Formats: sequence, C-alpha cells, structure tokens
Amino acid sequence: MSPKKSEAVTEVVEVVEEKSEKNLAARLEEEGDVAADYLEGLLDIADLDGDIEIGIENDRATLSIEGGELNHLVGREGEVLDSIQELTRLAVQTATGERSRLMLDIDGFRVNKKENLSELALKIAEEVKASGESVKLAPMNAFERKVIHDTIQKTGLSSESEGEDPDRCVVVLPA
Amino acid sequence: MIDEALEHLVKGIVDNPEEVVISEKDHRRGTTLEVRVHPEDIGKVIGRNGRTAKALRTVVSAIAGRSVRVDLIEADEAR
Repeated sequence: MSPKKSEAVTEVVEVVEEKSEKNLAARLEEEGDVAADYLEGLLDIADLDGDIEIGIENDRATLSIEGGELNHLVGREGEVLDSIQELTRLAVQTATGERSRLMLDIDGFRVNKKENLSELALKIAEEVKASGESVKLAPMNAFERKVIHDTIQKTGLSSESEGEDPDRCVVVLPA
Repeated sequence: MIDEALEHLVKGIVDNPEEVVISEKDHRRGTTLEVRVHPEDIGKVIGRNGRTAKALRTVVSAIAGRSVRVDLIEADEAR
C-alpha cells in the first residue's frame, strides 16, 4: 500500500515540474511577443527599417533588431540601447504584471561588446596567472561585469565585484 | 513624429494609456515635450531615481537627432 502511495507522489512532483518549465517557456515567449510589439511600434513611428528576432537564452527572453542603420539607437557606449531595453522591460511588466529581464540587442552591439570583453578577460587572466596578483578592472555596468565573471570562471580563476554603481568594477583574483 | 514616438513609449509603460496626453512646444532653444499622465502613473514614468524619465529623454533625443526636453506632469495639475 505505502509504496504505491509514494509512487503517486513522485508522479505529481514530476507533473508539477514539467508544468512550471512549460510555464517559463510560455511566459518568456509572451514576454518576447509583447516586447516585439512595443519595439515594432517605435520603429514604425520613427520610420526606421529593422527586423526583430525573438529568442530565449539562459532563461531570458532575447530580442535583436537588425537594420544596418540603427547606430543612433545604440548610442555612445550603448546608452540609448540600454534605455530602450529598460523601457521595453517596463512595457512587458505593465502588460504581464511580471518583472522582465529581457535582453535587447541592436545591430549586434552586445554580441561584439561581449567578444571584446571576453578577449579582455582572457588577457587579464593571463596577467594574473603570471604575476599571482589580483587585477582591478575599470568600472563597468552589470552586463559587462557578468561577461567578465563568466569568462574568468572558465579560466579557473575567480573574480568579484567591488564598489557601488556607477563605479562598481571587477577584481580578478589569483588562484 | 517625435511626439508620437514619445506617446507610444509612455503609453506602453503606464496603467492608464488612454489618459496620456503629449503637447509639443517649440521655442528658440529647441523643443519641449510635455507629457501628462494619470496621477497613479507619475511614479511609473519617473521611475526609481528618475531612471525611467532619463531613459525616455535619452531615447526621444536619439530618435529626434537633437536634444529634446521632456517634462512629466500629473494630469491633475493646473496648466
């Protein structure tokens, strides 16, 4: 009698897990759709050409706009891009009632930035391994710091952030 | 166009989009866009530490290709 009972319980747990996973995917898909509508509306009004691609990466909705002539929507250091991303997250939150962590890219700005930061992180990792001393990097935003942390982790070293935004920076520690 | 862009951006992030009213004022030094929103929404368009207001200004100026002033006002205030 009792083994049967526990079997039933296991089954219920599995169903619940499956459901929440499905919920997450469905929720991220909805996030992507709402965000794409918001962005498309903006492009239409501003009379800008751009194709919007929606995806899911690391449990986040991702949107990328490819237009070729959208430099002004990226801005210096991606300042405009960050602002559009911020507003798009709020638009999703207003529509769904849930906080959004969606990531927006325009004309590959973040992809390129990520590559450059990864290269920088690898170079710093070599330096730290050679000298055995920690190295403090220039202040970076949350996205940039995450790229550095992720890359450093792959080199077998560790890193931490210190200071407060906007002066918060990554320190790469020797092994 | 720029007033429409701002209207779209604001309407998407408030709970009372039908109460968003934009008025454009051109003056010698440039353009000011006044945004009136429902009193319940003023916090939303300003954001923590003015973060959302700043984002709105940044995006609108980028699209306009020039610096645009954006004033956020509660709809109840006298004109």
